[in-house]
Amino acid sequence: MLLINDINKTYHSEEGDEVLALSDINLEMKDKEFVCFIGPSGCGKTTLLRIIAGLEKPDSGTIILHDEPIKGPGPDRGMVFQEYSLFPWRTVLKNITFSLEMKKVPKSQREDTARQYLELVGLSKFADSYPHELSGGMKQRVAIARALVNDPKVLLMDEPFGAVDAQTRNRLQQELLKIWERDKKTLLFITHSVDEAVYLADRVVVFTSRPGRIKEIFKIDLPRPRDRTSVDANVLRERLLSSLGAEMKNTID
Amino acid sequence: MIKPQKIFIIAIVIGLVLLSGCTAPPEEEEETTGFGELRFGYQPSTHQIAYMTADAKGWWLEDLESYGVTSTKDFLFPTGSPEMKAMLAGEIDVAYVGATPPLSAIDQGLDAKIVAGAQVQGSDLVLATALPYESPQDLKGLKIATFPPGTLQDTVLRKWLMDNDIDPKEDLTILGMGGADAKTALASGNVDAVFLPHPSPTIIESEGTGRVIVQSGEMWEDHACCVVLVTDALIRDHPELVEQIVRTHIRATEYNIEHPEEAAQIFADDIGVSYEIANKSIHDWDGTWVTDPSIELNTTLEYASVQYDLGYTDKLLTQDDLFDLSFYNKIMAEMVEE
Amino acid sequence: MDRGQGTKKRTLELASIATAIVIWEIVARIIDIKYILPSFTSVVSAFIGLVQDGELYRDIMTSLNYFVLGIGLAILVGIPIGTMMGWFKSIDRAVDPIIEMIRPIPPLAWIPFAILWFGLNKYAAGFVIFVGAVFPILINTYTGFKNTPKVLVESGKVLGCVKNKDIILRIALPSALPSIATGIRVGMGVGWMCVVAAEIFGVSTYGIGRKIWFWNDLHHMDMVLTYMLVLGMIALIIDRAFRYLVQVWWLKWQSGVVV
Repeated sequence: MLLINDINKTYHSEEGDEVLALSDINLEMKDKEFVCFIGPSGCGKTTLLRIIAGLEKPDSGTIILHDEPIKGPGPDRGMVFQEYSLFPWRTVLKNITFSLEMKKVPKSQREDTARQYLELVGLSKFADSYPHELSGGMKQRVAIARALVNDPKVLLMDEPFGAVDAQTRNRLQQELLKIWERDKKTLLFITHSVDEAVYLADRVVVFTSRPGRIKEIFKIDLPRPRDRTSVDANVLRERLLSSLGAEMKNTID
Repeated sequence: MIKPQKIFIIAIVIGLVLLSGCTAPPEEEEETTGFGELRFGYQPSTHQIAYMTADAKGWWLEDLESYGVTSTKDFLFPTGSPEMKAMLAGEIDVAYVGATPPLSAIDQGLDAKIVAGAQVQGSDLVLATALPYESPQDLKGLKIATFPPGTLQDTVLRKWLMDNDIDPKEDLTILGMGGADAKTALASGNVDAVFLPHPSPTIIESEGTGRVIVQSGEMWEDHACCVVLVTDALIRDHPELVEQIVRTHIRATEYNIEHPEEAAQIFADDIGVSYEIANKSIHDWDGTWVTDPSIELNTTLEYASVQYDLGYTDKLLTQDDLFDLSFYNKIMAEMVEE
Repeated sequence: MDRGQGTKKRTLELASIATAIVIWEIVARIIDIKYILPSFTSVVSAFIGLVQDGELYRDIMTSLNYFVLGIGLAILVGIPIGTMMGWFKSIDRAVDPIIEMIRPIPPLAWIPFAILWFGLNKYAAGFVIFVGAVFPILINTYTGFKNTPKVLVESGKVLGCVKNKDIILRIALPSALPSIATGIRVGMGVGWMCVVAAEIFGVSTYGIGRKIWFWNDLHHMDMVLTYMLVLGMIALIIDRAFRYLVQVWWLKWQSGVVV
């Protein structure tokens, strides 16, 4: 269980202006739940994800994962960034073993484990390649494997497929679902795409723009595997879009 | 396949080369009518006071005016090496210089001859005060600063060391530098000894940083030191001018020998040391002012042989390469007649 | 195809060098004053003579000795200081003004103090080379660390690399390596230029720079030119070798980035 209690976060710009990024965020996530965050740019959803990851501290409020309050980054939470975040000086395999090295897992063991995850994302052939030799989609698959190898309870993903083309994106979504169904991690996924949210999530959390608040939570109880073109999916997309649409308008005003 | 652009570039380069080749020898042109400015090179040493005396008394211009010299200009050099470089570059006509710097320069293509002697001996080996000295063997392992390779001091020092079974390349370190740098290096303890022409040894002793242990006359009796060198162009185009230069040099040298105190004063004023130092230097040194080039002939030829052996010169230089005794001999013959 | 291109390029390079040599020889013969411009053939024969009697080898080794001393020290000093300044803002603020005051001083201006502090020996020469090389290394290390992508640091933190020491060694340092390599390369270039100057004041009777001054004192300009060309060739070899090593061993993870 991941509990987000009364999170508030204000940014101070260098000119002394204050921007309220997150206001009174409360959310409860069940284990193995797949939750998507969606909202206009600058609504604070990335900030919330970073607070959960431990990369930023809230002004007030707590995050509690399995009865433990979060104080900083930890192995119980994996993260996949929007930008390509592989270490360019390490081979694919060595990127995946990085967290195991930090845990002082013996070399042969960590390479075996890493190879299993590389297999899982279908890139066994590229174990000894360097990141610059991979396509964008492949890089994000390696990043997913790298986050999973640590066996975290929660996987945080910040628009991981934002930079790849539509076709690759569909394939990556399917693969992600396959992994999620196999490993059953709690998955927190930020997206800009209503389609992506409806295809992937158990619940979709819609954020308001500045200050970032939770506006609405949609439960997506479509049976899996889902059909992107089903009538129910369409109805959900419409509802989501109109909820979001109001928000987009607000930002423009 | 050579591209047209390339041919074009090559053509331009060759054109420039030919152009520069055509304009290369301009030297004599300005010297045909009258003479103009006569340019001297000298060094801040008591060895060369003759130049300074003639200059201070206005004798150069006075004696040379009738040969078309309208003015004189002098350049002070720390050692003979840059002085010879300046002569190679055509910047000076007459040089008061040690007997050896002209050797490598003449070997490498300088057209000039020694027409008069200036002085023999007159350099001292000065050891840091704290170091003991009984024989040349005590110098092994030390650092000795002297004038750069090819200078008189460098040559005399190396020969003396070799005469005493000390290999100047392996047994000790000889560092080539100017006199001021050498004095600083000794004072700061960066070298253990210096071998320099006067007045440097006297200055160092007065500052208390070192003491004279060997005079160059002990190293090599009556070794040639400074000479008067003039360019072949001057000898060829203005022989009577060269003859007068030698006469004036004799006049100044004889005056100095008769008036050493005044010579010291002239030196002190010219170089900027105190009169006391200059006077003491002239008293203490083992040097002698001379004018006859033949006094310096034999040791200079020995230097030539040493430098040839050291690989400093490509060929063994002979008397004909280095000396033109005719001016001095002519003057002496006339004096005998009178 | 590829090979054909390479051969063509190589042919052009050789043709260019050959042309330069021919022009040099022609110009030298037209001028015909060997101390103004020694001919190519005289330089070649001087070079052969120097190689044969082993003199050149000793000179090169002497100069390389100073060079290694200076560059080694520059690396040992430049990288840690650059790292600290690039990583810790407070150190940057404290040290930067001092660096900026010393950096513009030409390395050769340090010669008098080099002699006073170290004496007339290889350490003084090494020091002058050090002064020339240390700033490019320091500044590039600094830039490399400062420009470490934030996302890599955060990735590391999320993956369990949280201690400052670990982040510096495992993330910032490898990320800064290309920049550090550039710094070392530039530093070696500047350092090598300082070799000639460091040898003017005569810390030894050997050394490439020393021999340039030695033969200059004797007006043997063919020898001077020979040593000048040796100086250039060695700089070229050092630079190429370093680039090769860096690309093959050190930074092979980089795609087509020329250091």
